[in-house]
Amino acid sequence: MDVFRSIVSILSAVAIPALMLFFLSYGAFKKVKVYEVAVEGAKEGFNIAVRIIPYLVLMLVSIAIFRASGAMDVFITVVRPLTDLVGIPPEALPMAIMRPLSGSGSLGIMTETMQAYGTDGFIGVLVSTLYGSTETTFYVLAVYFGAVGIRNTRHALPTGLLADFVAFLAAVFFVGLVL
Amino acid sequence: MLNHIWLALIVIGILTAAGRDIYEVTQNAYGNDIPWQVSIDELEQSPAGTERTVSLRVTQSELRRHFVTDSFDDGCEIKARVSMSGADAGTLILTVDKGLPARFATMAEALGSEGTLTAQLRRSGEQWRMTLEPVSLVYLKRVTNAAFDIAGVAVQIAIGLIGIMALWLGVMKVAEQAGLITHLARLVRPITVRLFPDVPADHPAVGSMIMNISANMLGLGNAATPFGLKAMEELDKLNPKHGVATDSMVTFLALNTSCVTLIPATAIAVRSAAGSSDPAFIIGTSFLASLTATIFAVTISKLLARVKMFRWDRAEAE
Repeated sequence: MDVFRSIVSILSAVAIPALMLFFLSYGAFKKVKVYEVAVEGAKEGFNIAVRIIPYLVLMLVSIAIFRASGAMDVFITVVRPLTDLVGIPPEALPMAIMRPLSGSGSLGIMTETMQAYGTDGFIGVLVSTLYGSTETTFYVLAVYFGAVGIRNTRHALPTGLLADFVAFLAAVFFVGLVL
Repeated sequence: MLNHIWLALIVIGILTAAGRDIYEVTQNAYGNDIPWQVSIDELEQSPAGTERTVSLRVTQSELRRHFVTDSFDDGCEIKARVSMSGADAGTLILTVDKGLPARFATMAEALGSEGTLTAQLRRSGEQWRMTLEPVSLVYLKRVTNAAFDIAGVAVQIAIGLIGIMALWLGVMKVAEQAGLITHLARLVRPITVRLFPDVPADHPAVGSMIMNISANMLGLGNAATPFGLKAMEELDKLNPKHGVATDSMVTFLALNTSCVTLIPATAIAVRSAAGSSDPAFIIGTSFLASLTATIFAVTISKLLARVKMFRWDRAEAE
């Protein structure tokens, strides 16, 4: 595990500079006018970022309203009987619900949960595994679809949420296995 | 689907806030207009026109009576600035710090007074009584503030992307013109023709998607987003229905949101800060959980694409 960890951390430190060096020098080798072409590509950055704004604003506002109202406590009370049936620990339920909605929200919940139940017990390892193994689905959908003006997202959201649910079940299973 | 969930978050949020506020009004949960009995030792000799810092003591039963709950185990002591307008009356400015019951902080937040509460002070006989400003509709105010605040934050996030996007899209453009992205796409062809059957195997979209997923696996979020957005642009060039997500886009996002994680850097950092004896313990469990989720996500994205309500041929272009 330690060897694996050091390999990956070296890789992530080296990846960006190596990639830049390789891409640009390979481009120069292939007689691409690197600076001119790079500037041309970089121009798009502004447009994409600006195009995302309406999608991101509306998505984050609806999540913020949900969070500020305290509706999550109500939601937890409603789904609690169901999740108890599946054997999901109720202490990790706020994390599971917040994770796809909000990155900063779930970061806060992870920290609070570990403060309340300890970092190295079942609950602590479970919430941090959960944070580490999934992305903020709503944010990713808003940004990625926003960048190309997609409004009809078809089955993207149910796919993402089901995957989050499976990640949660898998986290409960694997953490239970090692602890 | 996204339409319904988006609307549901807003509607449920606002109705919950309104419901809680109505309940709190019927309970008078902040003890509006009920005077508090407080004891202040130093106040006896304060003449009119003077101003000083004092310490108020509030008993447990007063807290329970005003906030309509049994959850207080003890009384509390509040620091305040008092200015006397007469021998028996004055104005208090209470300092709301972390040591006080959370209800006081909630009241200050609802009044928008940033860590202080204002109260009228009066003497009746030997007793001092204070009356706090009335508080109501706490949750609806919170919802309003949250909505306005986050709208600004969302724009900041998008603007913050500009620099990093410009940098990587510039580098990517060079790689693309040099033919590197196409080479990369050919390299992983056996996998991608199965995952994305409607994308030509040497299309630039494939190269960008591979770069995005590799960056995500290494935990390079800053580089992953530009690659991912570039991939979406390329996928959209193949999209005959503008404004509708293609099967490949959904599969790509399924891969992206459930992405296999080699090093969950943020979670490890938080564990370490919280005093874990083995912060990196979660590397193994995160990897296995995300691998399971990724396999499931790709499968479910293929299956759901055939469900009637999500079918491609039923979606209308704009």
